[in-house]
Amino acid sequence: MKSPTLNPSPTREALTPYSLVGEAGHGRWDIKNELQKTKMKQLISINVNGDEYEVAVRVTTTLLDLLREELKLTGTKKGCELGDCGACTVIMDGKAVNACLVLAVDSVGKKVETIESLATGGELHPIQRAFVEKGAIQCGYCTPGMIMRTKSILDKNPNPTKKEIKEELSGNLCRCTGYTKIVEAIETARDYLNGKQPVELVFMPQKSAIDLSVVGKRLPKIDAADKATGRALYTDDITLPNMIYGKLLLSSVPHARILSIDTSRAKVLPGVKVVLTGADVPDVRWGTSPPRYDETILAKDKVRFVGDVVAAVAAIDEETCYRALDLIKVEYEELQAVFDPMEAMKDDAPRLFDDKYENNINTHVDHHFGDIEKGFAEADYIREERFTGNRTYQNPMEPHCSIAEWDNHGRVTLHTSTQVVHYVHHQISHILGIPLGDIRVIMTNCGGGFGAKASTTTIEVMSIFLSRVAGCAVKMRFSREEMYLFGRGRHKQYIDLKIGVKNDGTITAVKQKAVLEGGAYSSFGIVSTYYAGSMLPTLYKFPNYKYDGYRVNTNLPPCGAFRGHGCPHPRFAFESLLTMIADDIGMDSIDIRLKNAMTPEYHTCNDLDIHSCEFKACIEKVRQKSDWDLKKGKLPRGRGIGIGCGGFVSGAGYPIYRSKFPHSSVTIKIIEDGSRAVIFIGDADIGQGSDTVLAMAACEAMGISYDRISVVSADSDLTPIGFGAYSSRVTLMGGNAAKMAGEEVKKQVIAQAAEIMKVEAFMLDAKDNRIYLKKDPSTFIPWEKAGFEHFSKKGPLLGKGHYSPPEGLGGKYKGAAVGTSPAYSFSATICEVEVDMETGKVKVLNFWDAHDCGTAVNPMLVEGQTEGAVLMGMSEVLFENEVFDKRGKMINADLHNYLIATSADMPEIQSTIVDSYEPAGPYGAKEVGEGATLPILGAIANAVADAIGVRIFELPITPQTVLEAIHGIDKRQDKMK
Amino acid sequence: MVLPDFGFYQPISVKDAIDLLMQKPNAAAMAGGTDLLVEMKNGIRRSENLVSLAKIPEMKFIKEDVKNLFIGACTTHSEVIASPLIGKFAPALVEAASKIGSNQIRNTGTIGGNICTAASCCDSAPILLALNASVEIAGTENIRVVPLRDFFTFNKKTILKKGELVTRIIVPKSEPGIGACYEKFGLREAGSIAVVSVAAKVQLVNDICVDACIVIGAVAPTPKISGQATTVLKGKKVSEFAEDLPLLEEAGNAAVRDSIPIDDIRGGAQYRRDVLKVLVKRTIRRAFELAVNNEK
Repeated sequence: MKSPTLNPSPTREALTPYSLVGEAGHGRWDIKNELQKTKMKQLISINVNGDEYEVAVRVTTTLLDLLREELKLTGTKKGCELGDCGACTVIMDGKAVNACLVLAVDSVGKKVETIESLATGGELHPIQRAFVEKGAIQCGYCTPGMIMRTKSILDKNPNPTKKEIKEELSGNLCRCTGYTKIVEAIETARDYLNGKQPVELVFMPQKSAIDLSVVGKRLPKIDAADKATGRALYTDDITLPNMIYGKLLLSSVPHARILSIDTSRAKVLPGVKVVLTGADVPDVRWGTSPPRYDETILAKDKVRFVGDVVAAVAAIDEETCYRALDLIKVEYEELQAVFDPMEAMKDDAPRLFDDKYENNINTHVDHHFGDIEKGFAEADYIREERFTGNRTYQNPMEPHCSIAEWDNHGRVTLHTSTQVVHYVHHQISHILGIPLGDIRVIMTNCGGGFGAKASTTTIEVMSIFLSRVAGCAVKMRFSREEMYLFGRGRHKQYIDLKIGVKNDGTITAVKQKAVLEGGAYSSFGIVSTYYAGSMLPTLYKFPNYKYDGYRVNTNLPPCGAFRGHGCPHPRFAFESLLTMIADDIGMDSIDIRLKNAMTPEYHTCNDLDIHSCEFKACIEKVRQKSDWDLKKGKLPRGRGIGIGCGGFVSGAGYPIYRSKFPHSSVTIKIIEDGSRAVIFIGDADIGQGSDTVLAMAACEAMGISYDRISVVSADSDLTPIGFGAYSSRVTLMGGNAAKMAGEEVKKQVIAQAAEIMKVEAFMLDAKDNRIYLKKDPSTFIPWEKAGFEHFSKKGPLLGKGHYSPPEGLGGKYKGAAVGTSPAYSFSATICEVEVDMETGKVKVLNFWDAHDCGTAVNPMLVEGQTEGAVLMGMSEVLFENEVFDKRGKMINADLHNYLIATSADMPEIQSTIVDSYEPAGPYGAKEVGEGATLPILGAIANAVADAIGVRIFELPITPQTVLEAIHGIDKRQDKMK
Repeated sequence: MVLPDFGFYQPISVKDAIDLLMQKPNAAAMAGGTDLLVEMKNGIRRSENLVSLAKIPEMKFIKEDVKNLFIGACTTHSEVIASPLIGKFAPALVEAASKIGSNQIRNTGTIGGNICTAASCCDSAPILLALNASVEIAGTENIRVVPLRDFFTFNKKTILKKGELVTRIIVPKSEPGIGACYEKFGLREAGSIAVVSVAAKVQLVNDICVDACIVIGAVAPTPKISGQATTVLKGKKVSEFAEDLPLLEEAGNAAVRDSIPIDDIRGGAQYRRDVLKVLVKRTIRRAFELAVNNEK
């Protein structure tokens, strides 16, 4: 405890009755007082990382902005700005604080420690080392805050238990890792600091990886140390010379015609450089899926949701931007708005688009495979139920940020936080009407995406327009609220699902009707609607299937692609209903799944081709690990166990727009002396670790070790095309390209070695930095010797690789492309919960999950994906839901009211990777990122139903819905007509 | 997201702070700033002048006399939690403080700020009310001591007048036979706002409840003493409150009758009543357990 008599610091405060730090301004952005200079700065001294700084700050400057903007200590991250996420955690006078909620002028005389202080002389601090080694870092955006919080925990208590760590860490949110590996890392750091060697992990490689040198190993991510030290640059960490800032004016009304926009007062505000409205930008329609390009650059005549983009300003700083936005007067003629998709489909409902989408139906899918009538006629038992999903948002920890700058040759460079460099590149080319060659898109480090950054954003587009007019670099970033309003989160789906089975559990027919609440624009929605139907037949075999899908426009933020894209709600419905049917016909939930489970080399009723498939092994594994047979039906009331299964594509079979480009491509350059390879990857590492995975595949292919490769990725000038991180595609597609490029290098280097060793090339192989005689591995030369020789004699040693899925995937019907993939993942999860029967609160205790992801290129990263998916899925099921008021304004657009799971909510997660080999994948690998999400929803729903004896049909499963279910209150809406 | 302009003052005495609050137009006092700065950033609050209390030593202390604890209003939640004095004489306050926000928030936010924000869901008020705490309010004219039960007037409203500051909180020390505790029901395990909260204090003499106070939070415009639930407890034997006994049920129902919950995104009114009843029962049982242990 601090001394009760806190010393007033012997600064100027002691000399005067009070220190006047800044004089008052009046009102928030009152134009009358513009001339009254309120921007007077105050010189303060502050000790940061042991150094004394004198800095001039305004009274409104937060400690976070002081560190990032004034001292350029950008390791401390800005995540929510409201004290909810902990990304800006620093240690002040020995205590962890959120730097976003400390005024710089209040930190005078204090000692501040930031992430930059930890590593000394190039040596990582033991906490950083533990985070790197244990795989606790994915996107890295929460990492500096996590590490500083860890330091404050361990400084205070050198021996915290796991439970204490989980509780103490709960003010630091992470969306990637599921906290499991972070908690492990803290336990490891604790041991390091106490001079103990942590327990070594016993690790059994998969069968398919036994003979491999790099692939299949638990290696730290290639960028982990940079992220652990705060050195990794995210877009918002970059300041270009002569850079100004941009902000968007968002619609305050849900549906209106714009009568007039008056920007005159904004334009004359000192510091304002550019003000743009719809009249100033080309009349181009853009979006995500070309058949549904329906967004304008800035609103033309109408706004369609609270958050629609009306105008944009650029000014010398963000504050001036906000002042300018307040001075823009928009006159609206409000139109009737519609927020409910069922209402929106009615004939008399207000239309969002006058010229298209009749009845606001943005997309309609009508699929029928086999014979649904016959299928249900053959069934011994049929059950139909209505399930309702929730509207959730990805919430990557890093808010979107973009910086655009035009050069003197009419070429624009965009630094951006994206998952899809090429699609941004393509879209900007479409919008500006200039070739790809006139645009350079550079992805910086990306602080998570999960789909939120899987298409072009309004700030990417507008920073380019503002920069062109301003003639200098323009940075734009979203606040957390603006992220929610930009939207593109998960569609809320209303699903009517009907399944027919024989007495032995064999599924004979499935009928699904899904209504997707789409928000104002299309975004990915057309694809989401197809995905909602197409993936059901990939997990269980059934010959007869009918799917009716409707995506309906409403006056809410547009929905898009969120981890599992369109599939999690139908999968939740299916897994729930299958368990209900099993219970109805007296069959075990696992047995009914095994009865119908997908097997290898199967052609589904909707013309998808399954190749490798170890789904049954996944189910058997979790059955055994969870003690299912001992627990199912034997747990006391209030305890429950449930199973859910899932799977996903390993990359979409077709690109988002019609394109003949390879889906992934890679080049490799060997440094002249042969000592190192640099791999140039088009695909995007958004934290999932694709840079690492592709580097590992390339190392394996070349025969060099992992410490001899560096990565350059996702820069359209430097790296060849890659479609980016979406549809769980990078490991398989990018991995194949990396392997191919590596093999090309290997072929050349072996040819060179053959000359040196005076043998035939076919007699040699390369592995572990040696080129050796296959017959006698003890006869070898160092890899680098051959590399060096090659360069000296033949010039650059380069490799290139590319990957496109096999041609002709899928059927011939409309929409057959969605759901196609070279390979499919499979997984099963068993969840155990405890429900407080008096309050309805659900506590998830355990998850046992098993995954068929083919060969795990890096098992530690695979676990990171599965643990992250478990926690994110759990968070979506139990906590998350976007809520809007009657005027369509989101009322929980922050991390204080839109809750996501903390470390204190983390269940025990035991992940297993089953033995599997996918011939289409690099070294047998396929996806895990999105597929791992799919089983979670149904597993929790089934476990809760098992615990309370009542089924819950609607997400999220809140304590209130659970208690109402226990009390027998059924609030489900009537069945869809 | 930026903070709007404001004048900023860092007085080093309570008197100077009060003078500033009186002189400066639309001035607000700021302690830790964990609520206030969020409201300013969100544009909910537009104070033109902020008077920081961070540099006033006379507002940051933890002291005692024979009967009471005195806690300076600018004592952070973490300092409350770490205080051996509070741990010994008002352990339930430590329990409540540890349920506020996150560690980072507790390191910055203060007990006085928590009370003066006066949210009906605030975590420190229910237990302080149950313990019959008072606040010392300094104004231009005088210093007055007001029982906390008379402090809150509505959600986010208090009796504080312009130029007045809560300078310290006075908490009667625990005595033998007293048991007190705080239960918070939030939607996740940490860092969530109370959907319902309950604080209870009971005092036993020879297994008879001679004094009691049940306080309910987040189910009325202010944290509120449930007079009816308190009445149910007084004069009864501990054994009458065993699980499933009608008296415990009656206490829960009584608290519900005193509540006026609303529907919001965290829960419906009826749900709040349901949880309130459960929490009241649990809190009472635990308070009695603590009291029994404390009597020995």
